[in-house]
Amino acid sequence: MDINELKDKIYAFVEAAKGKKKLKEKDIIKGVSAEQGLTPEEVKKAMREMIDVGKLMYSYGGGASSVEIPSEEYLREKGLIK
Amino acid sequence: MKKYNTPLLDDLEKGPWPSFVTEMKKAGKKNEMANDAVGHLEKCYSTKKGYWKHGGIVGVLGYGGGVIGRYSELGEEFPGVAHFHTVRLNQPSGWFYTSKVLREICDIWDKYGSGLTNVHGSTGDLVLLGCRTEALEPLFAEYSSRGWDLGGSGSDMRTPSCCVGPGRCEWANYNTLEACYQITQEFQDELHRPMFAYKSKIKFAGCACDCVASAARADFSVIGTWKGDIKIDQKEVKNYANKMDINAEIVDMCPTKCMSYNGKELKINNSECNRCMHCITRMTKALRPSGERGVTICMGSKAPIVVGSLLSWVIVPFMKMEPPYTEFKAFVRKCWEWWDDNAKPRERIGEVIEAKGMRSFLEAIGVPPQPQQIREPRKDPFIFYTDEDIARFKAKEAEEKKTGKYKF
Repeated sequence: MDINELKDKIYAFVEAAKGKKKLKEKDIIKGVSAEQGLTPEEVKKAMREMIDVGKLMYSYGGGASSVEIPSEEYLREKGLIK
Repeated sequence: MKKYNTPLLDDLEKGPWPSFVTEMKKAGKKNEMANDAVGHLEKCYSTKKGYWKHGGIVGVLGYGGGVIGRYSELGEEFPGVAHFHTVRLNQPSGWFYTSKVLREICDIWDKYGSGLTNVHGSTGDLVLLGCRTEALEPLFAEYSSRGWDLGGSGSDMRTPSCCVGPGRCEWANYNTLEACYQITQEFQDELHRPMFAYKSKIKFAGCACDCVASAARADFSVIGTWKGDIKIDQKEVKNYANKMDINAEIVDMCPTKCMSYNGKELKINNSECNRCMHCITRMTKALRPSGERGVTICMGSKAPIVVGSLLSWVIVPFMKMEPPYTEFKAFVRKCWEWWDDNAKPRERIGEVIEAKGMRSFLEAIGVPPQPQQIREPRKDPFIFYTDEDIARFKAKEAEEKKTGKYKF
C-alpha cells in the first residue's frame, strides 16, 4: 500500500474513534495493521510521520497520553495554518 | 509591574531557612509571569482553593512528552499565569553541571519563561516552571541548539535518573552514570513518544543505600550489588569499637542477623547477607564488598494512584551491568511488551504484576523463579507446578527408587 494511502487509513481510524475512545499509539498500530493486513512497523512509521508534521498529535488527559487529530488552535499555534 | 499584597506568603519568609517565597519575589521583580505567580499563590492560600488546570495538548511538534500543560482559571486577574506550562529538561547523569552551563540554561529560560525553576524535581529532570504556549517551540529550538533535550512526561518512559555513582562514591558497584546515559540514548523513542498505558520509570542506584530512592519510585530499580564476601579489617573494627557500640548499632540492626561480635572479632555469615549496606556505611574503614559486581533488578514500586503505593521487589537477583548493556535492554523490552499487552489505562507494571500474578509475568519475560524473588517467606506461593512438572517429577522419583541414585 502506498504510504499516503496508509496515512489516510490511519487518519480515518483515528477520526472514527473521536469522542468515543482515547487511542494509544499501540491501539492505532494494532487496529490499522489488522484492518489493512500490514505489519505494525509500517503503520508505526506512517503514524510517526503524521505526528511529526502535525497531521496527528499527542494529547494528555486523566493521567494518560493518547494520539488525536489536532485542533485548529493547535495547528495555528504551531504555525501550520494561518 | 503590579504590586501584590501578600501577608500569608510573607509569613513563609520568616525563620532562618531559605524560603521559596523570597526567591519567587526576587524573580517577580524582573519578570511579569513570576510576579503574577506570587499574587496567584497568595490568592490560592487566602481562598484555600487551587486554580490550576492540568493537561491538554501542549507540547512541541513531534514530541508527546516533556511539557506539562498548566493553565490558571484566573487568567484575567493574573494574565502572567494564564498559561504556566512546566518544561522538563533531560538532566545530565548524576546532575553534574558547570556554572557556565547553568547560566546558559537560566539565560534561555529568562528569555522565554517565568525564570522560575525547581531544580531538580523528584523525576530527576531539570524543571522549568511557567511558559506560555507560543513560547514553547522557540524555547525548545534554543535549548536543542545548545545540546539539551526534553525529558519525559505522560505515558512514556520517564527520564532515567541515577545516583552520583562512581563520580564521587566509593560504594558504587557499577557505573550508574554511564548506564543512565546509555539507556537514555537507547530508549529515545520511548522517552519522547508516549506509547504505554502509563508512565514507566528506570532509576539506577550504585548500591543498596539507594540515594536515588529507586526502590520506592521506579518501575525498574537497578541497584548495585556484589557476589563476594564482605572483607573485614579487624584492626579497624577495634578502632570503631572505641567510638561505637558495635553490637547495638551494627550487629543487632543487621536485617538478616548474619553478624556477630564477641568484643574482639567481628564475624559475618556471608551466605545469609542480603547486601543491605547498613554495616558497610557505618564501619566504612573496616568493611568492604568484594568479588564480582553487578546489579539486582527490582520492579514495581510506585506512588498510590490506581491502587496503593508499592515498593520494588526482586525480579533478577544478579545481572552484570556493563556496556553495551545488551542483557538489560532486552530485559526492559520484554517487560514493557508484557505490560503493554496486559495493562489497563493508568496501570503501572507493578500493579499489573499484582493483578496477573508473578507467575505469568516471569513466564512471559523468561526469568526463572528464584528464592530471592519471594517478598515474604511463606506468603508468595506464586509458582504452581504444571501437570508436566508433576509427571517429570514422578518419573525421576520412580527412576531414583529403581536405581537407588538420587538426582535431586
